[in-house]
Amino acid sequence: MSRYRPFSEALAGFRSITRPSVPAETRQAEALRSMKNFLHRLLTITRHPIRYAKPMLRRSFLNTRVRWVVFISKSWKDKGKIVGLMGLKFINYMSAVHLFYEHVGFVRVVSGPSMEPTLGVHGEYVIENRLSYQLCPESIARGDIVTLRSPLDPFRIVSKRVIGLAGDIICVDPTGTTAPSTEHVIVPKGHVWLMGDNAAMSRDSRLYGPVSTALIQGKFVARVSSA
Amino acid sequence: MFRQPIVKQTLNALFWLPIPIVLVQYFVTIKTINGRSMQPTLNPDSSKWRDVVLFDRFSIGTRGRWDREDIVALKSPIKPKTLLVKRIVALEGDIVKTLPPYPDTEVTIPPGHVWVEGDESFHTEDSNIFGPIPLALINAKLVYIVWPLDRSGPLRRPSLPVTKQGVPRGSIWRHEMAELERARSREARVTRAVRDPPRKMPL
Repeated sequence: MSRYRPFSEALAGFRSITRPSVPAETRQAEALRSMKNFLHRLLTITRHPIRYAKPMLRRSFLNTRVRWVVFISKSWKDKGKIVGLMGLKFINYMSAVHLFYEHVGFVRVVSGPSMEPTLGVHGEYVIENRLSYQLCPESIARGDIVTLRSPLDPFRIVSKRVIGLAGDIICVDPTGTTAPSTEHVIVPKGHVWLMGDNAAMSRDSRLYGPVSTALIQGKFVARVSSA
Repeated sequence: MFRQPIVKQTLNALFWLPIPIVLVQYFVTIKTINGRSMQPTLNPDSSKWRDVVLFDRFSIGTRGRWDREDIVALKSPIKPKTLLVKRIVALEGDIVKTLPPYPDTEVTIPPGHVWVEGDESFHTEDSNIFGPIPLALINAKLVYIVWPLDRSGPLRRPSLPVTKQGVPRGSIWRHEMAELERARSREARVTRAVRDPPRKMPL
């Protein structure tokens, strides 16, 4: 293939620019082409990120400067509109982040003595998974460390380990400190039995009985680091 | 692809979606009431439609303001996916005289729990079946009836109905009197705690 475009092709392009009424492409074909262009651009950028990022960055800086000058020159009413839209976008962004934390899960700081050998007293960063229980509440299993809104204080979120599921027969306290060691209960439907790993320093199902699964929010997946 | 108007509009809508979701989850919700557990306050036999009501989530979920006689929405402790609408009868520390299905005749409400009951005590799944429920299950408070129009308006506490001299006591007067009687009988079953624990919420 030669490096130069044939003259006839250039002429054709010229004609199409000057006369837009030449038989146009159909809408679908145009959409397909724009999609192809987009994919091509994406692929080239991912293959040579630095080469493409540099001019893009420079362009974006230029854009911000131009934008600032345009903003300065506007009337107070338009300035107010622009600032309002920016504020709304910021609120939108914050609520999106919050919703992600609430429903999908992210890193969370845990502290307190109740899960002592597993999670330290002075705080640890732990990855929390909230999505799986929301999609499938039946996936709660014995041995999971779950987070729940405390039955004693609705504004506190605590973490405990699941000991028994609905239908299990549980010995309330094998050590016999809070209840006689012979006392056994059946966990009712829709409830679980929870206990902290550090039994001596934990307020858990021994105190408030079986806990409804509606209180459970998520489970811990992995520890990131200790704070 | 992004020049297509339909794609553009949907992407724009998706971009602005978080704000309405947060408004619905943390501030106000409109819901339809199913079932007859709150008859005659909600869904009375006389109305053709199911009630559409406005729930306030902010004062419960963020401010923590709940009280006896509030109508609240809560997740069922037995079936976590269903939402119940019940009335708070007693707060923590109160002593309640229970109704038949419950094994004990009197219960002291443990800390962080409340006793909820439906107004129609024969067709309701309430604390008389599953006992006191933790406050964390409650997520909204009923503030306003939107539909049907003849009963629409903010939810008021029952008070002694007033009539003009000489005007015969009509059905409205009887309804209000019956409501007051029911509220009194509910309150008669509750022995209030000596001192309500103060709420230390910043808002």
